[in-house]
Amino acid sequence: MIDDIRVGVLIASSSIKRGNKKTLLFIVFVLSLIFMNLVFLPSMIGGMTVLFTGIMQDYPYGDIVIEPTGDNTYINNADNVLQKVRAVEGVRAATKRLDVGASIEHKQNVVGVTITGVIPTEEYEISQYPYIIKEGDFLGELSRDEIIIGSIISGTSTTFGEIYDDLGETRVGSLVDVTYSNGVKRTYKVKGIMEGNFELVDLNAMVHYKEIEDVYGLDKGKATSVVVRIDEPGTEDEMKAKIREAGVNEQVFTWADKSETLIRQALQSLGAIDVMSKFVGLIVGAALILIIIYINILNRKKEIGILKAVGITPRSIVLSYAFLSMFYVSLGIFAGLILYLSLMFYFQANPVVFYETMEIRPQIDVMLVIQSIVTMLTLSVIAGTLPAWSVSKESILKAIWGR
Amino acid sequence: MIKVKNLKRYYGSGSTTVKALNGVSFEINKGEFVAIMGASGSGKTTILRILALLDDATSGEYTIRGLKVSSLPEAERSYYRLTQVGYVFQDYALINEMTAAENVYILSMMEGKSKKESYKVALEALEKVGLKDKHDRIPDELSGGEKQRVAIARAIAKKPDIMFADEPCANLDTRNSEQVLDVFKDLNDNYGQTIVMVTHEPWHVKYVDRVITFKDGVMVGDEWVEDR
Ligand SMILES: Nc1ncnc2c1ncn2[C@@H]1O[C@H](COP(=O)(O)OP(=O)(O)OP(=O)(O)O)[C@@H](O)[C@H]1O
Ligand SMILES: [Mg+2]
Repeated sequence: MIDDIRVGVLIASSSIKRGNKKTLLFIVFVLSLIFMNLVFLPSMIGGMTVLFTGIMQDYPYGDIVIEPTGDNTYINNADNVLQKVRAVEGVRAATKRLDVGASIEHKQNVVGVTITGVIPTEEYEISQYPYIIKEGDFLGELSRDEIIIGSIISGTSTTFGEIYDDLGETRVGSLVDVTYSNGVKRTYKVKGIMEGNFELVDLNAMVHYKEIEDVYGLDKGKATSVVVRIDEPGTEDEMKAKIREAGVNEQVFTWADKSETLIRQALQSLGAIDVMSKFVGLIVGAALILIIIYINILNRKKEIGILKAVGITPRSIVLSYAFLSMFYVSLGIFAGLILYLSLMFYFQANPVVFYETMEIRPQIDVMLVIQSIVTMLTLSVIAGTLPAWSVSKESILKAIWGR
Repeated sequence: MIKVKNLKRYYGSGSTTVKALNGVSFEINKGEFVAIMGASGSGKTTILRILALLDDATSGEYTIRGLKVSSLPEAERSYYRLTQVGYVFQDYALINEMTAAENVYILSMMEGKSKKESYKVALEALEKVGLKDKHDRIPDELSGGEKQRVAIARAIAKKPDIMFADEPCANLDTRNSEQVLDVFKDLNDNYGQTIVMVTHEPWHVKYVDRVITFKDGVMVGDEWVEDR
């Protein structure tokens, strides 16, 4: 067997060293494309998934959101809930929010909005709101007569400008009149304009939590939601259970539970496309690898016959082709990896823009890359072995002289 | 050493059957240098391939040193080809991507010799055919005659019990042919190498001990060469 391997290596290496370099280049090129095909589309789909899920997590729901039970408008003891939640291992941060309906008026323009009362200092740990202020600043601890409005409301959204009503020319420093759903009127100065390029965000407005408490005359500790971020992405369901176990009796949802049907469906169909593209990529890849190696072996039929005729064992011959095709495929994977990574870098720097504003940056899925490499190497052994084996089974005369 | 009995080899079937060998029996003993002669199409290549275990007879018996090789499984035939039988093809049959030395030493490696040892054996063999200085050339860089001499080196390197050569000089000029035949004779005289060579050339007869003549798939002559 050792001799078989040594001879197999000799045959393979001499064929690589002195074989046709153009053929080698072509084979490696095709193999690199096969590899790309296996990993590229899933990376793009991964990027889309991250984009969608990111929005749900970064703005309305966090990783886990706790909402009042039944018909209750408020969680009554939100501070108590917060205390319990924060004590759960694996929870990174939590905050409470108060969502209310209101209309905003500025120079005869009126827009209906949801106003969220937030605790500004806590939001930095919870959401992206503090980081998407495109003009002005986010709310501070003492902001009581100040408001953050979404760019659609302010009329400065470049994306959604035409579709929705807006307040006209609202800028940082403009005064707006807010009429809350209970009829209370307040005047606020616009402290900042936020833009997430997503309706859910840009149609929203935000004031200090205490402001809502005040306007609605709420007792301490009321909230419409408690938003939780966790340490380990992907453990949402376990964390949800842990939070329940910690004695939280309100309704507990993961971001995925809460995601609108549309997005859930989108994610589902993306998942299906992902699986299909991987499957098709694999089948096509396997077929191509087999064909390439098979043609290569057919071209060397005579050589195989000669090797056999002079006493080289069929096993060495089969091994040599397994080595050979492993070498081709390794080079192909290497070239494909370089191609893939350069494309990844390119798209990281120049994301694909979706719906005009959603930037899709492909995600490198290391597991998938490793899987693809292993799959291709395995296929290469099969692709090298099977045809060589079938040719080496042929009679010597037929292999050498064709009859 | 070699014994064939009523050997037949038919190609095709039905009305198109070609009876390339139609009942051939002979014996070749150790140390003989035998020439197989005969007109084109008389079955010389066919018998040689069967003797060298490259082809199977349709019927009949073939034994090497008493062992009935005609019914051996392929793995053992392969071992026989590697260790007991040398074969020189009419058309060189070298591996184009290997150097002259590699073409020769791959067999020693197959036999389990170290790379260094194999290389030494290969160089010795190449020296015998006068190509030591061209050991690192690939076949494309050699003339037809040189290629054939590499093929001969490959066949003799393992010092086989029996060596077969199918018109080994078909592509060589007289001078080169003499060189090759001298190598054969040297092997035969000094190492007792058994050689069976197919040839067309009447003047080759002076190198051999015995001439077997074929005609239309049967043996029509078997003569010992007297003065050699
Ligand atoms: N694979 C084959 N299929 C059919 N017929 C074949 C095959 N190989 C050889 N033959 C026929 O068998 C006969 C003997 O062929 P063989 O090659 O043994 O002749 P030869 O004596 O070596 O001739 P040459 O001197 O031309 O080399 C010929 O009639 C040839 O046409
Ligand atoms: Mg012939």
